[in-house]
Amino acid sequence: MKKILTVILLLHSTVMAQNIDIDGFARNYIGVLINDSLDYSIIQNTFNLNIYRTGDKAGFKVNPYIYQYDGKNLEIGLREAYLDIYFPSIDLRIGKQQIIWGKADGVFITDIVSPKDLTEFILRDFSEIRMGITAVKGDYYIGNNTLELVWVPVFTPTKLPPKNSIWYPKRPDFPAPVNFDYSKAQVRHDLKNSEFFGKVSALTGPIDFEIMGAYTWEDEPTMHLIKHFNLSDPQHPLLDSITILPEYHRLKVGGLSFSSSIGPIVLRGEGAFYKGKYFNTTEPNITESVIKKDYIHYLLGVDCSIKGWNISSQFIQKYILDYDDYLQDDQFSNMATLLIARNFMHETLHFSLFTYYDITTKSSLIRPKLSYDVSDGFNVLVGLNIFTGDTGIFGQYGNNDMIYTQVKYNF
Amino acid sequence: MKHNITIALIGIMLSATGLLAQQKLTGLEVMEKVYNRPKGNDMEATLTMILINSNGDRRVRKIKQFIRDFGKVEKKIMFFIEPADVKNTSFMNWSYDDANKDDDQWIYLPALKKVKRISSDSKGDYFMGSDFTYDDLGNRKPQEDNHKILREEKYMGEDCYVIESTPKDPDYMYSKTITWVVKGKWIGLKREFYDEDGEYLKTLKVKKYTNINGIWVLTEVEMDNAQTNHKTIMKLTDIKINSGIPARMFTERMMKRGL
Repeated sequence: MKKILTVILLLHSTVMAQNIDIDGFARNYIGVLINDSLDYSIIQNTFNLNIYRTGDKAGFKVNPYIYQYDGKNLEIGLREAYLDIYFPSIDLRIGKQQIIWGKADGVFITDIVSPKDLTEFILRDFSEIRMGITAVKGDYYIGNNTLELVWVPVFTPTKLPPKNSIWYPKRPDFPAPVNFDYSKAQVRHDLKNSEFFGKVSALTGPIDFEIMGAYTWEDEPTMHLIKHFNLSDPQHPLLDSITILPEYHRLKVGGLSFSSSIGPIVLRGEGAFYKGKYFNTTEPNITESVIKKDYIHYLLGVDCSIKGWNISSQFIQKYILDYDDYLQDDQFSNMATLLIARNFMHETLHFSLFTYYDITTKSSLIRPKLSYDVSDGFNVLVGLNIFTGDTGIFGQYGNNDMIYTQVKYNF
Repeated sequence: MKHNITIALIGIMLSATGLLAQQKLTGLEVMEKVYNRPKGNDMEATLTMILINSNGDRRVRKIKQFIRDFGKVEKKIMFFIEPADVKNTSFMNWSYDDANKDDDQWIYLPALKKVKRISSDSKGDYFMGSDFTYDDLGNRKPQEDNHKILREEKYMGEDCYVIESTPKDPDYMYSKTITWVVKGKWIGLKREFYDEDGEYLKTLKVKKYTNINGIWVLTEVEMDNAQTNHKTIMKLTDIKINSGIPARMFTERMMKRGL
């Protein structure tokens, strides 16, 4: 600990001398499951540091973080570490960076450049859900119009919860013992496995829009199923076991998003066409139980402010084209979100309620929060995460309702 | 030469007409002079707000702001410096001369890393937890109220018109305001606000003002809310007027890059 403090003090004196900005936060986060067990869902201490400089022609940022779990296990990493080079009409950013696209809130449709850290499902702050990726990003500006090109030399998948986590997704019931084969669960790090993203965007008085395209990889692997049969009686083969083979596949995506003011209302939309996504099937004669299909994912949202209350609602639909009845996913899956937020007491007391409602499975995640600024930069928060329903993305966590507190100091 | 003389004479006549008109100004004309007071083509400044609650606890907000008049649209961009939890947030507002056109507003939140368009129907909302609403900060157009000259009197040693303004919209957050406007300088030195029920709410007082390149600038103002016993002191420093702020300052690129 003494060594860490010495490094921080040395770092601080060095950066002060070079006129480098330094800020960040320290946070304590404790969550308790609201069930008979009253188990802690999380005990986490966080230290997050931003060291950066924005000059006339160049800049940099390094964002190291430390998560300490249960007072012992340390997770140390760099969320971002990049260099910026500024030309009159072009900005280049090289290194590990978070890249966020689209107009949706809490939903990922065209926002597919940075993968997600889902080790705590989707409960982390959005700045902590997005993982940094090593990339070269170039932005060419003409006024408020931007052409952005991104090259990601090394594929980084979404980080899923470990098997012993309360957030590990429920697997479907299989009719035979299951084993995993991870031999194809890696994408080789070479040039031909790079990802490419492009976006044209404009910010104007009447409307803002983005048009994007991507040649990427699935963020989460497709689960290929290989069935092993006992053929001792060839007339009646018996299913002996199933091997699950996670494998990442290429994906082509084209999409657009917009936001526009209509009187006191902001109307938002976002949609994307995903080409060549593999879906699991229930049809026994299909090889490895997966089939390639295209699908459309889109959203329409409305934001407004009524007597100090900020209200935002979104409708999201996923639609599989050329649908076959044996697909495990429904042809249409519908979801809605609602955000209600307001500040009180000269913006020292903050209330918000964010709700996801999965219309297809009638399950939801309800997230009320109340926080108070004890002083500038020092904030105390109390919140609930309530899961309703029995199945679906939210219903599967029906036993994970939790109450939590976060005490945070920004500096 | 003859042409020049003609122009000069017209100028003198217009001035004389102006003097005559000034003696018979209506309440609306006085408030239009305040609203249209020359502000320069552009201005940059550091804005410091000190929020003081009834216990005397102080909170400080610091913002660097840039404003430029592009003719039919005035663009403003603000970069938040303090407190730490909002540092590097930026806010951009495009305000149009067309009274029927709502402002366009965007906010960049560094945690979200994207520029988000926000609803501009929040002129009655308080700015960053202060005692100033967005309208109080000068965005309210004179045509939105009926104005009446109550009297003329001296205030802080200046000859002032005392103007009562009542909103045309009966649902507006103030039932009336009373403003002390300095003759000739067209600065509102003091303004009293009355709430929807007609009760006295708060007072704005100009503590300091100065003339920079022929333009009057309020450099320290104080809003004292009598109902909540909460006070906000607002100071402008590092003021530059007509320094030639480039158009590229008012872009998504700068919102993301910051200062």
